[in-house]
Amino acid sequence: MINKIPWWLGGILMALLLLFTFSVFGANRPIGASTYVPYFAGIIFDLDPQKYTYLKEIHKPGSWEGVMLLGVLFGTFINALFITKTFRFTVLPAAWKKYKNNSVVSRLIWSFIGGFFLIIGARLAGGCTSGHFLSGMTQTAFSSMIFGAVVMVTLVITGKLFYKETKDV
Amino acid sequence: MYDKDTSMLERILSMFQTVQDEEHGSVLLVFVIGMVFGSIIQYTKVHKFEKIAGFAMLKDTVVPKMLFLAIGLASIGLFFMIQLGWASYHVKPILLGGLIIGGIIFGASMAIFGKCPGTGPISVAEGRIDIMVGAIGGIFGGLVFTLFYEQFKTIMGTNLGNLTLSGYFPDHQGITALIFGLVLVAISFAIPLLEEVDEDDIGYQK
Repeated sequence: MINKIPWWLGGILMALLLLFTFSVFGANRPIGASTYVPYFAGIIFDLDPQKYTYLKEIHKPGSWEGVMLLGVLFGTFINALFITKTFRFTVLPAAWKKYKNNSVVSRLIWSFIGGFFLIIGARLAGGCTSGHFLSGMTQTAFSSMIFGAVVMVTLVITGKLFYKETKDV
Repeated sequence: MYDKDTSMLERILSMFQTVQDEEHGSVLLVFVIGMVFGSIIQYTKVHKFEKIAGFAMLKDTVVPKMLFLAIGLASIGLFFMIQLGWASYHVKPILLGGLIIGGIIFGASMAIFGKCPGTGPISVAEGRIDIMVGAIGGIFGGLVFTLFYEQFKTIMGTNLGNLTLSGYFPDHQGITALIFGLVLVAISFAIPLLEEVDEDDIGYQK
């Protein structure tokens, strides 16, 4: 069974999915994947959308992305179990061990911090890799190009500072 | 307790109802878009820590190659679809403070976490415990942003408009979109292909 496709095929398929989602035959809107997080936070912490301006603002896109997210989780879980066979419980990524450390505690703390600020950053910018990079730059939006450039530069600088070249033996 | 559970259930049901009442595809269609979106990422493995943190370390270039190719092709297609009336623009505003400060925070977090909000859920579905912990961190990030939205808004700055590159050349929109798309496709192929090995690859190569 196929469990991997090359990047160029993935790029073509992603372009087709973006176009379908944009089109009136699809959803007539862009793909986004970070608004669902505060949307679900509102549900989990039982915040009243009438009281919080932000929850009111994201009610519709949050719902749309929430349903899309359930599709992502369901589809990739089924794939991982039966097709790609990539489902297993692990804590440390191979490259974390190679370029950072072997500490589970360190990885979990950094993951929590990373996840926390990832969402703060995405919501400040009004989008993420999906909403800005994929959907925004597809429309040649200046906002998305600014975001894209800042993210790429910061990503590479952080990668250089945070990780070791190779693991000390 | 019972009341809290019902209200959460009601809100989840209202999520489906909201999508059903909108003109942005049926619940089933949106769910399937999610399945396809997740599968494309999963099969190309661009959600792996080795691919995203690997890109941050410049040891893996599959993420930028695929991103630029997808954006390049889609930008050409989208322009002509808009001309035909099959789609419309949904451009995000320029809020310089939000884009720059948010972009710095986002880029640094992405390098350390090795995920973004669209790729994280796939790793959660594959049983990655570190990413589940990060997702909980993300939920708290969403909570803090919601609670302090007024304060965050002051950092985001004023709206400088929902401007686009093709809108900058109103008489040459088609050629602008075409050149923009072709340049991105060219960049995508020009980036040398580097791949950082991850544990799943070992099984795959057997």
